Amino acid sequence: MLSANPLERRLQTAAIILLLGLLVEVVCLLGKGPIAFMMFAGLCVLLFVAGILLYLHLLVTAGSHPRETDQP
Amino acid sequence: MDSLVFLLAFIGLCIALVCVFVFRPGITATRGGKIMAFLVLFILPILCLGAGFSAKLEASKSTGFCLSCHIMEPHGKSLRVDDPMHLAAAHFQNHRVPPDEACYTCHTNYAMFGGLKAKLGGLRHIYVYYLGEPPRPEDIKLYEPYNNRECLHCHAGARSFEQGVVHTSDPALMAAIKSNQTSCVSSGCHQTVHDVATLKDQKFWDGGK
Repeated sequence: MLSANPLERRLQTAAIILLLGLLVEVVCLLGKGPIAFMMFAGLCVLLFVAGILLYLHLLVTAGSHPRETDQP
Repeated sequence: MDSLVFLLAFIGLCIALVCVFVFRPGITATRGGKIMAFLVLFILPILCLGAGFSAKLEASKSTGFCLSCHIMEPHGKSLRVDDPMHLAAAHFQNHRVPPDEACYTCHTNYAMFGGLKAKLGGLRHIYVYYLGEPPRPEDIKLYEPYNNRECLHCHAGARSFEQGVVHTSDPALMAAIKSNQTSCVSSGCHQTVHDVATLKDQKFWDGGK
């Protein structure tokens, strides 16, 4: 499923981590007790921060990884 | 509840948009794709996280949330004691505090960052409950003496408080209460708050459910 292009693969990884964060957020919002709150404050925030940072890192380093489809 | 449904729908939309980049990362080759990626992988997640955090924080103020730990059940039960001398019960049953946020209303801190401080205290409760040695319900104590500021947040300016017979009997008393020198709850006036040790001997009010 992951792309052969390193740039696109990193984008997919960031998207997958954010997707997991969003799914965990849904579970936490449907939960009522303190465990749901802790899961949100811990796991969910961690996944969001990791996904966003990975995407931002991809943006700032994208110039050093030209796409295979890009013209030289 | 409506806001939760709206938030879940918004998160559902975000999930669908993020899926586009999971399965079709190649669309970022175009300028429009890059802009969309920035929105979907940066802006929308921050909005989702902020909205979710706000919703969870709001939900954590509910009485049900506080009483969901078994150790707090006796304290929840003490809200239904059929005795007006029990401070927490009288406040809860007469809606002097919102019944849905009864615990939070009295146990938050009405100073700057008080809500945050209350939530940090809650995290400490969870730590003690799951990783420490939780005390027996009757041994639960406040981390610091109860500050009159929390009472005065509602009662200051109220006629029943300002013109109360006992409160005005001594001219110095009102000033002492307002400056927190004389405690509302531990100076012998309103000292019965959550008397969980005597619950088995109490009668309970079963209304308001």
